[in-house]
Amino acid sequence: MSAPPAVRNGSSGGLVALIRAHRSISVLVGWALVGALLPFIVLVPPFSTFQAQSLWIGGFANSGVFILLALGLNIVVGLAGLLDLGYAAFFAIGSYTYAFGASSFTGLHVPFWPMLLVGAFAAATFGILLGAPTLRLRGDYLAIVTLGFGEIVPAVFLNADTYTRGTNGIGGVAQPALPFLQFNFSDPVPFYVTMVAILAVVMVFVYRLQGSRLGRAWMAVREDELAAASSGVNTVTTKLLAFALGASTAGLAGVFNASKLGIVSPDQFGFAVSFTVLAMVVLGGMGNAWGVAIGAFTLYEIQSVVLKGLNQFFQQVQVPFLDTIDFVQYQFLLYGLALVAMMLLRPEGLFPSRRRQRELHQVSEDVADVPPPTAALGD
Amino acid sequence: MRPAKFGALAITTVLVFAACSNTGSASGGGGGGKTITIGTELPMSGAETANGQPTANGVKLAIKQENAKGDIPGYTLAIEVEDDAVNGAHDPQQGATNMHTLVADTTVMGVVGPFNSSVAQAEIPISNAGGLLQCSPANTNTGLTYPPDSAQYRPTNPNKINYIRTAAPDSIQGPAGADYVYNDLKATSVYILDDTETFGVGVGDSFAAEFKKDGGTVTKRDSAPKSTTDYTPLFTAAAAAHPQAVYLAGTTPTGMGLALKQGRTVAGFETIPFMGPDGVADLGPGGTTGATITVAGSAAHDVFGTVAGIHDLPSGSTFVADYTTEFGSAPGAYSAAAYACAQVIIAGIKAAVTAGTTDPAAMREAVRAQATAAGNKFDTVVGSISFDKNGDITTPYMSFYKTDLTLDGGKGDWVYVKQQAFTDPNA
Amino acid sequence: MRVLRPAAVVIGALVVAFAILGIQQFENFLTLGAIYALVALGYTMVYGIIELINFAHGDVFMVSAFLSMWIITVPLGLADRPIDNPLQLTAVLVIVVLATMVFMGCIGVIIERFAYRPLRHAPRLAPLITAIGVSFILQNIIQAIFSTSPISVPQIFPKTKFEILGGSIGALNIFMVVVAIVLMVALQLFISRTRLGRAMRSTAQDREAAELMGVDINQTIAITFFIAAALAGSAGVIQGQYFGSIQYNLGFFAGLKAFTAAVLGGIGNTTGAAIGGFVIAFIEVFAAQVGLARWSEVAVFTVLILVLVFRPSGILGQALGERA
Repeated sequence: MSAPPAVRNGSSGGLVALIRAHRSISVLVGWALVGALLPFIVLVPPFSTFQAQSLWIGGFANSGVFILLALGLNIVVGLAGLLDLGYAAFFAIGSYTYAFGASSFTGLHVPFWPMLLVGAFAAATFGILLGAPTLRLRGDYLAIVTLGFGEIVPAVFLNADTYTRGTNGIGGVAQPALPFLQFNFSDPVPFYVTMVAILAVVMVFVYRLQGSRLGRAWMAVREDELAAASSGVNTVTTKLLAFALGASTAGLAGVFNASKLGIVSPDQFGFAVSFTVLAMVVLGGMGNAWGVAIGAFTLYEIQSVVLKGLNQFFQQVQVPFLDTIDFVQYQFLLYGLALVAMMLLRPEGLFPSRRRQRELHQVSEDVADVPPPTAALGD
Repeated sequence: MRPAKFGALAITTVLVFAACSNTGSASGGGGGGKTITIGTELPMSGAETANGQPTANGVKLAIKQENAKGDIPGYTLAIEVEDDAVNGAHDPQQGATNMHTLVADTTVMGVVGPFNSSVAQAEIPISNAGGLLQCSPANTNTGLTYPPDSAQYRPTNPNKINYIRTAAPDSIQGPAGADYVYNDLKATSVYILDDTETFGVGVGDSFAAEFKKDGGTVTKRDSAPKSTTDYTPLFTAAAAAHPQAVYLAGTTPTGMGLALKQGRTVAGFETIPFMGPDGVADLGPGGTTGATITVAGSAAHDVFGTVAGIHDLPSGSTFVADYTTEFGSAPGAYSAAAYACAQVIIAGIKAAVTAGTTDPAAMREAVRAQATAAGNKFDTVVGSISFDKNGDITTPYMSFYKTDLTLDGGKGDWVYVKQQAFTDPNA
Repeated sequence: MRVLRPAAVVIGALVVAFAILGIQQFENFLTLGAIYALVALGYTMVYGIIELINFAHGDVFMVSAFLSMWIITVPLGLADRPIDNPLQLTAVLVIVVLATMVFMGCIGVIIERFAYRPLRHAPRLAPLITAIGVSFILQNIIQAIFSTSPISVPQIFPKTKFEILGGSIGALNIFMVVVAIVLMVALQLFISRTRLGRAMRSTAQDREAAELMGVDINQTIAITFFIAAALAGSAGVIQGQYFGSIQYNLGFFAGLKAFTAAVLGGIGNTTGAAIGGFVIAFIEVFAAQVGLARWSEVAVFTVLILVLVFRPSGILGQALGERA
C-alpha cells in the first residue's frame, strides 16, 4: 500500500519514482542508512578533530529531539498552515509526564517504552485542549494565542510546586531499560539507536498522513478554509487532529529528553525553544518532512558545534574584530536574520516541498491584489 | 537552489577552517611531557559573566602557580574552560553537554564547577558515570549532597561520591542571614521576596524558618519570576505591614538588583536594611556590569549580604596580591574557593602520579577517592579543609558584607563585616 | 453631549480602581496603564491597516527605552540626579521625548519598508515569521551593545510628591499620565480630522477602494508605522524614567501584555486600545496586591485567550476599519 505518486516534474528519475512509490520502506531504509553511517562519518577529519566520536553521537541523539519537535511542528505549521508559537508547551507535557511516571519524585517506575506512548498521548490530548479554543481564529490571532499557551504551561509547572517541585525540577528521572542494552550516562549509543528508530517510525507515519485523506484535508484547510469547508472537509476535526498529531511527536521528544538528561525543570521549555523549532521548520522547508529533518539537524549542529568552532577559529587566528565576538551567544541573532532573509528570499525553505514552492512563488507573481480574508473569525 | 548551495559551501568552508585550527581541548603550558587537564564548568557569558569569569580565574591562577613549581614529574597542568550559559543564562542542558565533553577528554582529572545548583543536577549523573571528581565552589542547594535526595544523582555508581563543594549549603546560609538580621541588624519583622528559582526559594525557606525560630515575624513572602519588570506593586502591598528589613532571596541576574532599586522608591522601604544571600552579595564594585551595586545605583545603600565561604584567608596568604597582579582586578567572591577546589584536585593528582598511576581511569578514581576519603585534610588557600561523607565541607563558613557607597570614588563597593564558622550538620 | 456618558464611565471606573488599590498602587497602576496604552495603540493601528500583528513592536518599545537612556547619558551627558531648574527640565524633557519619538518613528518606517512591505502579498505566515525574526534581531542588537544585565537609566525628574488622600503621588506620575493623554487625544484628532488620518482610515477599511480614490497606500502605511513606533517611543521614555532600569528582554512580555490590551479593547480601535491598556495594568497591579504576582502573566494570557474565544471583537468592537 504505497502513497499515490506525486506530481512529477522533469527531473524525476527511476530511483526517485521508486522511492515515491514505496515511501514507507524508503524512509525506513533511509534512516537505517543515515543511522549507520553518521557514527562513521564523524571518525573522518575534519569532523574527528572537533570532538570524540562518543560526543558526536550524544549530540546526534540530542539533535534527534529537535528533529522530532520539528517534524511535529511541521504538521501543524507546514501541512495544516496553523502557526503555533507555543509548541514547547507540548514538549514540556511529554517531559513532565515521563517524570511523573518514572522518577524518585513520585516513586513510580513505569518503563520507558510504554511511557513513550503515554507521553505522546498526553501531549496529543493537550494538543486538542489547547487547539480547541483557537479553531475559529485566523492566522495572526492563532499565533498569539498559542504563544500565550506556550507561556502558561511552563508557568503552571513552575508555580504548582507541590505537584511539580516547581523551580527545583524533578530529578532522578529513570533511564530506559532493555535486557540487552545498557542505558546510562556514559554511553550515548543506546540512546542514539533508540532515537534513530523513533525517528524512522515517526517519519513513516508523517508520510502516510501526508498522503492520506487527512493530509489532503490539511492542505485544503491551509490554502483556503472556506473552500475546504464547502467541499465537505470537517475543518474542526482536521485542525484538531493537526494539533493532536503535531503535539504527539513533541510528547515523544519530551519523554526521550527527560530520560536522557535525567532531570526535568520548567526553564527548559521557554519561548527560545519554540522559536528555535520554528526556525528549523521554516529554514528546512515547511511541509517537507525530510527537509525539516535536515533543517533541524543542521541548525542543531551549527548551534552546538559550528558556532563554537568559529569562536575557537577566530580566536586562534586572531582576526581583529571577529575574535571578540562570542558567536554562541548571538545564535538567536543569526536565527532572526536567517528567518527574515528566508522569508524575503526563499519562503519555501531550503528543501521545499514542490507544491509549497509553486504556491509561494505563484502568489507573488499574481498581479491581482485581493487582500487576504479579513475576518478575525475564520468562518 | 543557489541559496542552499551557497549555504552548504559556507558551512563546509567554515568546517574546514575550523578543523585546521581546532585542537579539541585548549593547549597546555609549555613544559615537559604529558598534559593533565583540570576542567572548569561555569557560566561565562551574558548576565552571568561576573559570576563565572573570576571563578575560572581562580583555577587558572592555581594551575599557573602549580606549573611554576613543577612538582608533578613528567606532567604539565592545563585548563579546559567550558561555558554553560546559553543566551545569557545558565542552562542545565548545556551543562550536561559540557560535562560529557569533559568526561570524554581522558586528560581531564577533575572539574571545578558548576556555579548554579540547577546545572549541577544535570551534571552529577554524568560525572558520576565517568568517575570524574567535581568540586563546586558555589553550589548551595542541600539536595545535591544531603541523603536521601542526593542518591538520585548517582544512578551509575551510587556508592562513589564524586561531588564535593567548598560552599556552605543553603541550610546554613539562610539561617546565617536570619540570625544576622535579627541579632545584628535588630530587625524583628522582615519581608521576604524570592525569585522563584531553586536557589532563591531554598534559601528563602531556610531564612524564614530560622527567623521565626529566633522570635521574629515574616510579614509577607512574595515570589516574583525573573521576567518581572516592575516590583513596585509588590513592595507597595508589603509596606502596609511595616517590615523592619527586607530579605532578597535570590540573585541579581534573576532580578534582585532591580527589586532593590525599585523597592527603595516605595514609602517605608527607603532606609530599612535589605539583606541577601551570595547571589546578591556578589562583591562586585559599582561600575562592574551586572553587579548589584551597579544595577541598583543609589539604592544600594544599607545592603547586607552573606557569602558562603571564608573571608579571612590564613595569614601569609598572597592569594589576593597574586590574583590582582595576574588579572588586574580584585578577586571575585568565589575565586579563592575555586582556587581551593583546584588545590584539592591537584593534591589528588600528585598522590596518584607519585604512586605510579598512569591509566586515566585509575587516576580519576584516585583523585576522587583522595578527595572524599574521610579524614583527609587539604591545605588550601582558604585554610585546612576536609569533606564529610556526603561531599560537604566540614568547616562551613559564612562571611558577612555590607555596601558602602562612598568607596571607589563614589561608585560604591562591598565591605567585609565579619565571618562566622558553622558546624556541618552531617559531619 | 456625546462625550458625557463615556467620560462618566471612565471616571467611575477610575474611582473604583482607586478604591480597590489604594493610593500607592493607584500610582503604579496609572503609570503602567499609560505605558501599555501607548504601546497597545501601536499594535492596534498597524493591525487595523495591514492586518499584521507586528510581533516586533514590543521590542521597538524596548529599543526606545534604551535610546532615551542613551540620549540622556551621552549627548546630553546628564547624571542620575533630578533637575531642579524648571526651564532646564522642560528643555531636557522636550528634547528627550521628541528625539526618541522621531528616531523610533524612523526605525519603524525602516522595518516596515524592508521586512514587511515586500511580503505584503505573501501568505499570512510570511510577515508573521519575519516579525518574529525582527524581534529577535532587535533584542540581540541591544544585547550586543549594552549587555544582558539591567541598565540604570538616569532619572532626571524631580522627586516632588503631592500629598493626596492619605498618600502621595509623584510629580513624575502626573507628568507621564498627562503626556500619555495628550498623545492619545492628539492621535484621535489626527485620525479623525486630518487628510492623512482619513487616508489611514480608508486604507484600513478597504485598501483597493482607497487606492482607487487616490490614496498613496505605501505612504499611508509608512506613516502608520511611524506613528505607532513614535508612540512606543514615548512609552519607552516613561518606562526608563519611572522604573529607572531597563533590560534587553523588556519588550517580550510588555509587548504581549500591550497586545492583549489592544485585543481586549477591540483590535483596530484606538480608544479601545487605550482602555485596554489600563485594564491590563489593573489586572497586573491587583494581582501583585493580593500576593499573586507569580500568576500575573498567566492571568493576562488567560484574559487574551478568553477574549479571543468568546468576544474576538473586544470591548469596543472595531472602529478604525469595519472588520467582522
